[in-house]
Amino acid sequence: MGKIRLNGVNKRFGAAEVIPALDLEIEDGEFVVFVGPSGCGKSTLLRLIAGLEDMTSGAIVIDGKDVSNAAPGARGLAMVFQSYALYPHLTVAENMAFPLRMAGTPTDLAQTKIARAAEVLNLSGYMDRKPSQLSGGQRQRVAIGRAIVREPAAFLFDEPLSNLDAALRVSMRQEITELHRKLATTMIYVTHDQVEAMTMADKIVVLNAGRIEQVGSPIELYDTPRNLFVAGFIGSPKMNLIEGQEAQVRGASVIGIRPEHLDTVAEGGWEGQVMLAEHLGSDTFMQVETQAVGMLNVRMDGEVKARHGDKVRVAPKVDKMHRFDAEGLRLVH
Amino acid sequence: MTSVRASAAMDRSYKLMLLPASLAVGIFAVAPLVGMFVLSFTDFHLIRGWSGKIGLQNFLRLAGDARFLSSIYVMAALSFFGVVAQVVIGTAIAVGLDRIVKSWRFARGIFVIPFAVPHIAVALIWLSLFTPTLSPITAFFATFGIEVPAMLTSQTGAIAAIVIADTWATTPFVMLIVLAALQGISPDLDEAAAMDGATRIRSFFLITLPLLYPTLLMVALFRFIETLKHFPLIFVMTSGGPGRATQATNYYAYVQTFQSSNVAYGAAIAVFLFIFAGIISFYIARSNARLSDA
Amino acid sequence: MFTKRRTVLAAALMLGTALAGPGAFAQQTEVDVLLFSMPSTLGLQKLAPDFEAETGIKTNIEVVGQDVFESRITLSFTGGTGDIDVVHTPAIQVQRWVEAGWLAPLTQTLSGMPDRDDIIPATLDSFKVGDDHWGIPFFAETGLLAYRKDLLEAAGKQPPTTWEEMLDVAAAIHSPDTAGVVMRAAPGQGFNMFVFPMIMRAYGGEFFADYPDDLTPTFNSPETLSALDVYIKLLGEYGPNGVSSFNFPEVVAAMQAGQAAMTVDGTSIVSQAVDPQKSRFADQIELALPPAGPAERAPALAVHGLGVSASAKDPEAAAKFVAWATSKETMTKLALNEAYPDFTRASIAEDPAVKEKYAGIQADFLDLRIAALQEARSDYRPLLPTWPELGAAMGENVNAALNGMMEPQEALDAANEEMGYILGQ
Ligand SMILES: Nc1ncnc2c1ncn2[C@@H]1O[C@H](COP(=O)(O)OP(=O)(O)OP(=O)(O)O)[C@@H](O)[C@H]1O
Ligand SMILES: [Mg+2]
Repeated sequence: MGKIRLNGVNKRFGAAEVIPALDLEIEDGEFVVFVGPSGCGKSTLLRLIAGLEDMTSGAIVIDGKDVSNAAPGARGLAMVFQSYALYPHLTVAENMAFPLRMAGTPTDLAQTKIARAAEVLNLSGYMDRKPSQLSGGQRQRVAIGRAIVREPAAFLFDEPLSNLDAALRVSMRQEITELHRKLATTMIYVTHDQVEAMTMADKIVVLNAGRIEQVGSPIELYDTPRNLFVAGFIGSPKMNLIEGQEAQVRGASVIGIRPEHLDTVAEGGWEGQVMLAEHLGSDTFMQVETQAVGMLNVRMDGEVKARHGDKVRVAPKVDKMHRFDAEGLRLVH
Repeated sequence: MTSVRASAAMDRSYKLMLLPASLAVGIFAVAPLVGMFVLSFTDFHLIRGWSGKIGLQNFLRLAGDARFLSSIYVMAALSFFGVVAQVVIGTAIAVGLDRIVKSWRFARGIFVIPFAVPHIAVALIWLSLFTPTLSPITAFFATFGIEVPAMLTSQTGAIAAIVIADTWATTPFVMLIVLAALQGISPDLDEAAAMDGATRIRSFFLITLPLLYPTLLMVALFRFIETLKHFPLIFVMTSGGPGRATQATNYYAYVQTFQSSNVAYGAAIAVFLFIFAGIISFYIARSNARLSDA
Repeated sequence: MFTKRRTVLAAALMLGTALAGPGAFAQQTEVDVLLFSMPSTLGLQKLAPDFEAETGIKTNIEVVGQDVFESRITLSFTGGTGDIDVVHTPAIQVQRWVEAGWLAPLTQTLSGMPDRDDIIPATLDSFKVGDDHWGIPFFAETGLLAYRKDLLEAAGKQPPTTWEEMLDVAAAIHSPDTAGVVMRAAPGQGFNMFVFPMIMRAYGGEFFADYPDDLTPTFNSPETLSALDVYIKLLGEYGPNGVSSFNFPEVVAAMQAGQAAMTVDGTSIVSQAVDPQKSRFADQIELALPPAGPAERAPALAVHGLGVSASAKDPEAAAKFVAWATSKETMTKLALNEAYPDFTRASIAEDPAVKEKYAGIQADFLDLRIAALQEARSDYRPLLPTWPELGAAMGENVNAALNGMMEPQEALDAANEEMGYILGQ
């Protein structure tokens, strides 16, 4: 079980309010990702849930139990740190045994749990090594193993993959997703990586300056960003945001068009000049400078012959257009 | 190819540059040691001179010298209790200061003061604190009608007094080293342990302390060797008394050399101390190496 | 042969301490003088131009700390560097230095001095080894009693003249606030062994069967045992808490703060108890001769003099300097210029200007001092070369007895045995 409810959770560091009172529900078994710009309070929120940081006010309820004042170890949560935080003087086996030892688990039961976790994480051959004798990916797996053996109500990850190289990051990402499927345990995952957020999450929580801008599935956020911040934050390359005449014509103060919802056309649309063209084979990214609406990010499927300086016309798919009011809130049709 | 040759040339010029320093070290560090070893095999007496005799007689005499043997007992007590107290208290203060992150700079300043006090001044300060007629501590307790017993009039008390003075003066050294080591331990580890369900105390004993262990061993070794050289505190606070109860080995070497003019015998005691310190250091360093290897 | 070996070893020693004295090269007649720091030696340094004016001999007077002094002379004398002509000679070192061949005799100089009878005999004899004198005294410390007049009067007691009376007076005036008596007790030839022989001699105890002819130790005699019992009883029953580790600074402090009513100690110590600048009870403390006993009164004695190095470049010039420095004129000037009541010529105490200067301590202070010195024995502490070692052996065992670590008889027996061992070595 791992249903987590945050009620009016608030955190100040001295005079600075890092998290204004915030409510959030996380369902049992959900994979929740916190995203947001650097310094927005993702780690702080995660640490508040873990109990590593004291709340200024509010309540945290896990499976119906108020754990607001419980010690970190008493909340039934496990955390995987960005730095792995493996105990350098203990072997892999001892690292993984540590939480069980703290819980007073009988040795033979502990042995079985550790062996099973090692099996799952492909660590069986390294059990007698010290962390310093492992690769980054192996260390990451040990950190996860140490979390698994406790059979926690939820796993908390704070940017666990950011110290790994790109290839390893992709495979570890898949491993964690796989693990989530196998264990079906609640996971809360902090990242600033768009791809991680979109691919792994059941539910994304977008944070900005400690406030929740929107909560929803990746596709919800992509299709119906609640406001300009989410619209600009989710999606890569970024959504084109257009103000002025073109927006007013459509009854909004700002309109947003994702790069993939722009097409080159022979007639009509906005005329412009290609400033940059990136050819990835599968996609082509372009930056087009237009008279009417300024610089536009354009994403085309497949290879498109376009070079710097070419004149092109681009037109939006009108049904995919997002409209926002003067407050930046989404306008519904 | 070129880089190898260049580095060889570099090597040579480094060696050349090291020469004056090595010579200085040789003369100032090694020569007195050689002098001490040479003397220890003679029967040189400051007044009577040297009869020409060379041999192991001084070392044989040591084995049967009751004062020498009891000096080892005193030295062992001073070293053991001193090192334990200094390492335990120094570590405790360092851990305390490490938590009070914000004000630690200021606090560190205060705790380091005793370390800056010269040995003789330390001895004089504590001599007056342990002299009932001069001590503010005695005066304070006297206002409640409690008589603080005189420390320097019994062996146990006098050894305790020297250990206390030494601990006061040198704990800051231990504290500084441990503090530096603590700050090299990631705070994530404590948090990980907290998540794993460890109390602060268990987390200290199971995680922090083992990680400090090599540092503590080195600092204990350092302090141990220093305590073998106890002299100013004994000289000023107890004059070796009561009776001879605080004549530690190094002090006894002084007594033999300067009071009794038995320079050769004093040198033999110094040689013993040197070898003793060397053996202990070797074992500690080896076990330390084993620890950090594993 | 022997000296050659010694030179080699001295060189080793010199390496060992990595210290070397600067060599001096004399063009004209020059005297190099090494003294350790005291008011009188610093004063002498200031008067040096007078000597040069009188004799045309140039002096280089170096005044150093006592620790530096020790290593300087050891290196200079064992190494034969010849950079010291006149040396500060504590009487306690004289036999050692003579035996080591470091000093030249001054007997002739002494007989040539016009008013040698003025020199207090015990101080002069302190430098006598065999038939010769090896130094001429310029400083003498003796022992005096200091007592609290007010407390004794309140108890209806006269100042004690014997140790027996001292016990009685101490018992009468001892109170929780003010201990009856305080004396130094810390182990060491210059610490408890500076005061204990005053009691020992008073009871007829002697260090040796017949000093200097028969050096069989007699430190465990019944007389010395009685003396030790008195010492232990005085401090154990009437001393302040912790007294059995006290050295002279603690003794001075206890007297100055009114924590003890009586002490017997050196003149420099007791005069601090009556110094109004330092002592809260200066006006209530009186000085008197130290207590006597069934056998005699034996005031303590510590003498410093000037000796001439055996390797002096110009022994005659060096001797001239010694004679000048210890002359009545120089000593009187020093007594007037410096805090120096420690002169060794009786007649200076009669000098009106000097009398007036030191009357502040106590009207009859100089007279008491001279009287004590006249009664003092030159062998107060037997000045054997092995004295430092002997004194330590006795002092440490006496202190052990005082602290109850040994029975008095046991302590004296142990000390006596060690003395035998040291002398038989
Ligand atoms: N102990 C602290 N004392 C004061 N301010 C803090 C403390 N910890 C964090 N903050 C502040 O709180 C805010 C949120 O920090 P937090 O670490 O939660 O950000 P984050 O979203 O995790 O950022 P990043 O993506 O860079 O890791 C930041 O402005 C930070 O400066
Ligand atoms: Mg963060």
